[in-house]
Amino acid sequence: MGIQIQNISKQFGNYTALDQIDLTVPSGELVALLGPSGSGKTTLLRIIAGLETPDTGTIHFDGEETTQRKVRERQVGFVFQHYALFRHMTVFDNIAFGMTVKPRAERPGKAQISARVHELLGLIQLDNLVDRYPAQLSGGQRQRVALARALATEPKVLLLDEPFGALDAKVRQELRRWLRKLHDEIHVTSVFVTHDQEEALEVADRVVVMNQAKVEQVGTPEEVYDRPANPFVYGFLGNVNLFHCRGNESGGQHGESTFPVDSDGVNIGYVRPGDIRILRRAESAADIAAEVIFIQGAGALPRVELRRVDNGETVHAELPREQYRQLALKIGEQVYIQPTNIRVFVPDYQI
Amino acid sequence: MIAIKQRGVLPGFGLAMGFTILYLSLIVLIPLSSLLFKTATLSWVDFWGTVASARVLASFRLTFGAALIAALINGVFGLLVAWVLVRYKIPGKRIIDALVDLPFALPTAVAGITLAGLYSSNGWIGRFIEPLGLKIAYTPLGIMVAMTFIGIPFVVRTVQPVLEDLEKELEEAAACLGANRWQTFVRVIFPAITPALLTGFALAYARAIGEYGSVIFIAGNMPMVSEITPLLIITKLEQYDYAGATAIASVMLLFSFLILLSINLVQWWSRRHAER
Repeated sequence: MGIQIQNISKQFGNYTALDQIDLTVPSGELVALLGPSGSGKTTLLRIIAGLETPDTGTIHFDGEETTQRKVRERQVGFVFQHYALFRHMTVFDNIAFGMTVKPRAERPGKAQISARVHELLGLIQLDNLVDRYPAQLSGGQRQRVALARALATEPKVLLLDEPFGALDAKVRQELRRWLRKLHDEIHVTSVFVTHDQEEALEVADRVVVMNQAKVEQVGTPEEVYDRPANPFVYGFLGNVNLFHCRGNESGGQHGESTFPVDSDGVNIGYVRPGDIRILRRAESAADIAAEVIFIQGAGALPRVELRRVDNGETVHAELPREQYRQLALKIGEQVYIQPTNIRVFVPDYQI
Repeated sequence: MIAIKQRGVLPGFGLAMGFTILYLSLIVLIPLSSLLFKTATLSWVDFWGTVASARVLASFRLTFGAALIAALINGVFGLLVAWVLVRYKIPGKRIIDALVDLPFALPTAVAGITLAGLYSSNGWIGRFIEPLGLKIAYTPLGIMVAMTFIGIPFVVRTVQPVLEDLEKELEEAAACLGANRWQTFVRVIFPAITPALLTGFALAYARAIGEYGSVIFIAGNMPMVSEITPLLIITKLEQYDYAGATAIASVMLLFSFLILLSINLVQWWSRRHAER
């Protein structure tokens, strides 16, 4: 079930939450709405669910307009950040809820409901907790129950609002891998909201980067990470170093990289910390002398902070462990850095 | 036992426990036991003759019955008031909110006289109701009116905070799962506020059982018809029949205790899901 979002706008008083959003979610995909808080991503999700009404625009599920349809008739599964489990019901009753509130004619029999609940319990790997109350579960378990509850009625669309936001780092990582696996098994069209770029890149088939009520870029995780459309997307998807570069009319040059420049011959180059090479000796005139000011050796990618000798700007670098060991850097040492894979965005003069 | 072994954040379990027992003894247990001691000066036959006399039994039926109905009315309408106060933006909400507490603050005699005036045959409300063949003042109905009046704040004030804390997301989750509004209320909201509602109900009931001041002005106080038990106790006291008064009082106390205990048990059952 694909979702077509056309020209959706939403204001809260003077505050614009969404500004003419167009977006298509292909059937069966897992799409992440990624953006900083206040970018309108949760509002968009709630409009898809019908929990919020848009000021303008339409929502279609597979070409069928649902903009005016009530929440309970849209057949969406919604997972809330804080689970929103029914506290007075057991895990079983929570998952069965959606089936038991169906009109009598459509309601499955007791045996069918029980079978479906146990099937879902198997899926969320919590078979043994069927009689527990939500208060007796851990955060991760609660969120899995919430997900099973949302899936119980076989929704056309699954919507998740920061589903792992309230969990600790370890559980979070486990659950998002599990969600990815689960989606590969059941293939329900899913949209989830997150402000965590790692989560979006790891889990989603497609990432929608949002900022200030607008969509900045839509693409696969590789696309948005490797070919960001603009400086915002570049900066939001990872850490970044800025290099102010000068060039002539025909283009700028920095080491081996060439890039376009504006009319003043100035541009900003964006470089990821992982694309900074650290050298003991300068290899070319373009290499920048810098002093090591901070080293964080723990973790998968050791981080080094350097201060440029020429203008005092700080540069962040990340390097593989092996290279880190070979270099054996010490604080206060002078080295050379070589920015590679420089990204430049041509300023938009239409504004 | 566990409470002693575990070291809490705040020290002084022993001291706090000792003080609590001493305090409750002074304030509650000793007065109540003196009541029982006084009752015990009666012989069994005299005791039974007093508490099982037709007039006393009629007053028990009236007091507990009227209080039950009043508490039920308060349970329904108190919930409604709390709901409106929490859920809707209405002009003058703060004032309505403050009005709810007035029955707490008003001297009960003032409430009684005012209600009696309103519902009597030439009162503001009574003059419209009486032609319909319904007499409220000076009948058991009037007693229920007074008991309802003094009981309403208990329900509103216990349910209100729980409703305020109820996450909006629960209702949204229910709606997404296909529940209609009635199903959402009955299956999601109501169970969540049941414990608070029961507490409010129990408090309103207890208050109505013991209510004296506001009731006697509107009750008419006719023996066998509209005479409440607290009035009967006062009557006995005025006749210097202290033992008789305490005998009635201790039976009343016993019933009240049993009723409150059973409500507490129901409440405990309704909270079973909160255990951790």
